[in-house]
Amino acid sequence: MELYNTNGYELSEMLRTKKISSAELTEAVFSRIDSVEQSVGAYVTLDKENSVRKAKEVDDKRSRGEELSPLAGIPVGIKDNISTKGLLTTCSSKMLSDYVPPFNATVMDKLIKQDVVVTGKLNMDEFAMGSSTETSYFKKTKNPYDISRIPGGSSGGSAAAVSAGEAVMTLGSDTGGSIRQPAAYCGVVGLKPTYGAVSRFGLVAFASSLDQIGPIGRCVKDTAMLFDAICGYDEKDATSANIKHPSYLNSMNGEVKGLKIGIPKEYFSKGIDNSVKTAVLNAVKLLENNGALVKEVSLPSTDYALNAYYIISSAEASSNLARYDGVKYGYRAKDYDGLIDMYEKTRSEGFGDEVKRRIMLGTFVLSSGFYDAYYKKARLLQRRISAEFSDVFSNVDVLCAPTVPTTAFKIGENIDNPIKMYATDVCTVTINIAGLPAMSIPCGYDDKGLPIGLQLIANKFDEQTLFNTAECYENLIGGFKHPEL
Amino acid sequence: MNIDIKHIAKLSRLRIEDEKQEKFESDMQKIVEMVENLPDIEDAPLLDAGNPMTLRKDKAETGKYTRDELTANAPHVTAGCLVVPKTVE
Repeated sequence: MELYNTNGYELSEMLRTKKISSAELTEAVFSRIDSVEQSVGAYVTLDKENSVRKAKEVDDKRSRGEELSPLAGIPVGIKDNISTKGLLTTCSSKMLSDYVPPFNATVMDKLIKQDVVVTGKLNMDEFAMGSSTETSYFKKTKNPYDISRIPGGSSGGSAAAVSAGEAVMTLGSDTGGSIRQPAAYCGVVGLKPTYGAVSRFGLVAFASSLDQIGPIGRCVKDTAMLFDAICGYDEKDATSANIKHPSYLNSMNGEVKGLKIGIPKEYFSKGIDNSVKTAVLNAVKLLENNGALVKEVSLPSTDYALNAYYIISSAEASSNLARYDGVKYGYRAKDYDGLIDMYEKTRSEGFGDEVKRRIMLGTFVLSSGFYDAYYKKARLLQRRISAEFSDVFSNVDVLCAPTVPTTAFKIGENIDNPIKMYATDVCTVTINIAGLPAMSIPCGYDDKGLPIGLQLIANKFDEQTLFNTAECYENLIGGFKHPEL
Repeated sequence: MNIDIKHIAKLSRLRIEDEKQEKFESDMQKIVEMVENLPDIEDAPLLDAGNPMTLRKDKAETGKYTRDELTANAPHVTAGCLVVPKTVE
């Protein structure tokens, strides 16, 4: 095991006991970046200079005997839609290719306070709209398990970096599966927290009622450690929940004895690869053999969730992205004739095709004569979906389902077919619509050696049950693998 | 349903290049056909009583950022002001 692919919680202990320094660890991660970044392409911006400086600062603090957080001195990468003061935040878009925020997102303030080493900003689908990271304006990120394949999206850079050892952990964001789906494809652990658990202040808005920032790590403990650092109430986010969070890492018991697991039958119907179905059900069997109680449950509206998701998320996107007008920040077209012409040229040149498609879909479903048939119906369905989950969680503690119906597809395979691309989100969007927490953990490999994700879904603010279940599974299989690169 | 892509683009303050018009129109057609499959649910108010949103009072904070910091990302600034094309004849 090299330093760059050692689990974060172990590195934290090695740093605390001074077996290694943060300078050494940071050097190890950057030399890994030097050797694999050219083939993986996880980063939009690297910040080696500040990383090295920060690592030294943390080492100095430690040598002075200062009490430090468990994350102090750990190299963490950040998705490029999370505002970082003084560091480019492009959302992988031409529109924001030169944008340097004058402020930090709340999660960044929290990480900086805990002395995290910020390695840089990670590639993503443009404005988080996509499922393969192919819509990035800058580059295509590759899957570390097979570089001819996509890493998933939209947090493709965040998942690929952790998988390839280019960061110990990363932050992603999840609007319809954007943390869990790439985590599944890249064989790492990703958590989409309960809506309201993590502040969205400083997260560039895509669909505000669905977006959540969450952690990605190589093991369950790392994900809990990073979640502990970023969760909690924030008065700058009106949708932030004012509840007390435990330390999820310290409260983790890795126990499933007596845990009631529900298998939502709709998640195992048409379109799910046999290899995925088998791996997920084998994982459930393993948990059952260790004391969990398993029963089939039903979430009847699941089949409509993808439709409602694309209506609601695009409607919100069309309104959120109206701010990119070439006036206050971002790209402005060079030649124009008057204000309207400037708006239209700026937006047409600054946005990529997928972003335009979502803005136009959102504009259409909100437009006069269509609102009732689309947006209103989708919102009513959203309420029904939430009620169905509430019913199910009165009988079970956690749901087990596939994260994605297939394993990672080839680069270019779905990019010209939006319907096929959207269908990869079918198992994940429902959770955002209902505002629930869910996690993807590796649960096996298909016949090409590509990772398969097990999705665990819990009731609102019950992340602890997700961590306990996931930790139990990870211990039972003896830990997760790393790709050969 | 026929989607008038030019009209929607106009409402969105976007322009679609001529050579991409057909593809955008047929993609949008398929996407709308996909998403319109939704069940009829009895009408009810859309505001969610269980929403955790708590609103704070607006308050003016001064001195947090300088004018230069706030205009540093603007494409065109003159004498500390954002410059836009003439809007009033």
